[in-house]
Amino acid sequence: MSSVDAAKSSAWQQGARDALPLLGGYIPVAISFGLIAVQSGFSALESVLISALIYAGASQFLFIAMVASGAPLWLVLVMTLLINARHVVYGPNIAPYLSNSRWWPLLMHGSTDQIFALAHTRLPQLAEKDRMGWYISAALIAWLSWIAGTALGALAGAEITARWPLLGEVMPFALPALFLVLLAPRFTSVQWTFTMLATIAAALVLKLMGMTNAAIPLAAICGVSLFYLLQARLKAEGKIHG
Amino acid sequence: MDKSLWLLLLACAVGTFLLRALPLIWMRRHLLRRSDNNGAATMPVWLTVLAPTMIAAMFGVSLVPAQPAVSSWLATLLGGLCTVLVWRRTRSLGWPVCAGVAVYGVVVVLLKMIG
Repeated sequence: MSSVDAAKSSAWQQGARDALPLLGGYIPVAISFGLIAVQSGFSALESVLISALIYAGASQFLFIAMVASGAPLWLVLVMTLLINARHVVYGPNIAPYLSNSRWWPLLMHGSTDQIFALAHTRLPQLAEKDRMGWYISAALIAWLSWIAGTALGALAGAEITARWPLLGEVMPFALPALFLVLLAPRFTSVQWTFTMLATIAAALVLKLMGMTNAAIPLAAICGVSLFYLLQARLKAEGKIHG
Repeated sequence: MDKSLWLLLLACAVGTFLLRALPLIWMRRHLLRRSDNNGAATMPVWLTVLAPTMIAAMFGVSLVPAQPAVSSWLATLLGGLCTVLVWRRTRSLGWPVCAGVAVYGVVVVLLKMIG
């Protein structure tokens, strides 16, 4: 294997390794989605296509619930897009690390909350030539695991959840653990520490209040506001310049 | 699914894809314009602050267990603590997550055996 091939394969391998923790969170949730979709009257093939084409967890659950309850189709479309609107900040944030390849916009189909969080941490650490390989590998594993989990849930979800109830309870902890590892290096200053802690607390409280879909954008906006407030205060006290 | 539902599925899929792809295209053009004008190819500051806060918000939301109970909160706390401790030692991505999930699972099982 040439050194170029070796570097390429190591970027792909690194992407696969980085995406592995996602499986613990994705597969149990996708199994639940497949099971609920079939129980709501969708076929296994339809459930898999919803997962493959929309590929956005919360909005998929809403999609099948609204369709099953007979909601107007335009409202289903609006609500789906509203829930997924948070994705608009992901692409711009990783744009500085991407080449001008015309494939990147297409590859954004694989950009989920978790893939974005991973990419935002990992892409700056990789050489430019390795970034697309890393991203395709990580995003493909996540996407395929979501599709496979949905198929499994649609075909045998009831049996799986009855036989291994603890699996669905324990494995999803991989997602908060992954976010925690991605966040840990960002506690670099008093300003960032307060911003992060306040954002986490706001999201937690909003979720406990039942505002599952609004929690992420609202808490993030709270965090950004606090960041600027702290910056103004630190500037006024002369502790930072600029 | 009838024809209207297939169209709805396609509209949701295309709309979600555009939400993901169009802002990237817009930012790439913005960065190119800045570098063509000999300016620094930088992103707006608010956007660079928004990204880590979005990740922090995702973390906050994901902390809430599917069935909130004292046992799940305790497992979350201990699993999170173990994740951080292993991260401080290894500075890696996979091992802290594995260790955190393992501790979370052990605590859940132990609490179920006790209670």
